[in-house]
Amino acid sequence: MMSDAAAQSTPAKKPGSTGSLREQMWRYRHFYLFISPFFFLFAVFGLYPLLFSLYLSLVQWDGLTSPKWVGLQNFTTLLRDEQFYRAIWNTILIGVYHFPPMFILAFVFAVILNQQWVKLRAFWRAAVFMPAITPMVVIAFVFFILFSTETGLVNYLYTGALGLLGIEAAGVPWLQNGTWAKITVSILLVWRWTGYNMVIMLAGMQGIPGDMYEAATIDGASRWQQMRYLTIPMMKPTFIFITIMSLIGTVYMFDEVFVLTNGGPGDATTNFGLFLFQQSFQDFRFGYASAAAYSVALVVFVMSLVIFRVGKKGE
Amino acid sequence: MPVTAPKRKGTQGAVGAAGSTWTEKIVMYGFLAISAVVFLLPFAWLISGAFKTQAQIFAPTPTLIPPDPTLENFKTVLSDASLPRAFFNTTLIAVLHVALTLFLCSLAGMAFAKYRRAPGHGWLFAFVLGTMMIPGAVTMIPIFVILAKVGVLNTYWAMIIPGAANAFGIFWMRQYITANVPDSLHEAARIDGCSEFGVYWRIVVPVIQPALGALGVLVLISVWNNLMWAFIVLRTENMQTMPLLVYLLQGEYQTPYGLIMAAGLVTVAPLIVAFLLFQRAFISGVTSGAVKG
Repeated sequence: MMSDAAAQSTPAKKPGSTGSLREQMWRYRHFYLFISPFFFLFAVFGLYPLLFSLYLSLVQWDGLTSPKWVGLQNFTTLLRDEQFYRAIWNTILIGVYHFPPMFILAFVFAVILNQQWVKLRAFWRAAVFMPAITPMVVIAFVFFILFSTETGLVNYLYTGALGLLGIEAAGVPWLQNGTWAKITVSILLVWRWTGYNMVIMLAGMQGIPGDMYEAATIDGASRWQQMRYLTIPMMKPTFIFITIMSLIGTVYMFDEVFVLTNGGPGDATTNFGLFLFQQSFQDFRFGYASAAAYSVALVVFVMSLVIFRVGKKGE
Repeated sequence: MPVTAPKRKGTQGAVGAAGSTWTEKIVMYGFLAISAVVFLLPFAWLISGAFKTQAQIFAPTPTLIPPDPTLENFKTVLSDASLPRAFFNTTLIAVLHVALTLFLCSLAGMAFAKYRRAPGHGWLFAFVLGTMMIPGAVTMIPIFVILAKVGVLNTYWAMIIPGAANAFGIFWMRQYITANVPDSLHEAARIDGCSEFGVYWRIVVPVIQPALGALGVLVLISVWNNLMWAFIVLRTENMQTMPLLVYLLQGEYQTPYGLIMAAGLVTVAPLIVAFLLFQRAFISGVTSGAVKG
């Protein structure tokens, strides 16, 4: 196999590139030397963990005593674990709550900030983008204060606004009620990721050749038609990328829920990432957690492929 | 704010300019202004909270500017040796992790860009790309076990080493080097007697600085903000990073939010300042994942 690849990548056209494989490899020894740190680190922190984790998924282990072989039992337990299903369901709901508004907002911002006549574009972009570089542990505490039911600013404004309309309303139980807590987490996610996705969409839009718009204008296409038939179809790869990244991000999200709600109330905001952390590093069920991690990774991988395929279809 | 509007000539040549009416403009600017307020509000609340007492933070009537700002939070946080120590730890970990990652990625990136006829080049590169598919959630427990076995839990190494082999970084560096460092330059340096590492260090590194800056920013943000891995591998107070310190300020019965806001501000500030200074590098770094090869 190696000599095949070598033969392919060393067409014997150029003078000086002939010689036995060993001579070739010696000639290019710096290539192997320069890439070796990656392969060494990958072997230790990538490949070995991947195989070790597969083994762990077939044993029961708390990290201290010796592992006990259980075969596929971890997987069958997982399939009957209601806590696991709740975590998956919570993940889906949080995804459904935050993705559409975030996506639409990011798109609207990108469209506006792509207009040359808009003033202070760098400022608007910076304001919306800043959450993407901010440590979530800090901002989750700020959100806790802002969304406090009794004294938080959000309820203060909400009840105040209704008060002006003459409606007496109680504050929203943002973090006390399961559904509202999911919504609060979703708001945090919208806040955090809109700017990031906006910038990606902006990059995608700027990649569309300007003469396509000129041609469309000459053909008499209205701005809406240009949006519908030119911008959006051309942005498809960007949209696919954002959708897949959001899927992965929501499944493995950790900081936001760990700090803001710690998965509560009850386990209403425990997504898969937090569930996995709890199984691994709070209950020390290394075997069970590995089985869960492998199963979900497989599902996420398949879903990403499906999104990719479905997204590509229209082209 | 050191942010200025891009210097473009009026509205000419813009796609939608001709079709935009005054009402549309007013709606758009209104939307942008409200959005900016909403997106910046948590930062304002963070700063304001750092100067409030616990009672003021949870006062029935929220105020942005506290009536009598207090420095107590900062005094308390700074009088404890753990915050300067955590700041030092975070900085040290970040600097070493970023430096190591940039070095390994650019060196391997150059190798993949410049030794295209080396035997095995093609499938080795495909292999590197393939490693990007492995989710961190699957390898987390084994890496923890390895670090424990080797005895480096609760050391800087546990934070610095595991993520340093960054396949995406290698891919990106290779793209950049292929596009920006001509083979002729490499050849010329070689003829002048430069060693292969000399070519990397003296020819390639200076040319790829923009890419190093952007990748550096991306790596910096993730290591500076990392809470979960710090929580898992760092055990003692003298090893805490800033995110961990902020998280652990929570009390079992009462959480001192003023202190958390003050320590949080110290955690956030370096990144924000760096962002405002190097906005372009930050944005291209953070969004580089979307760049297609």
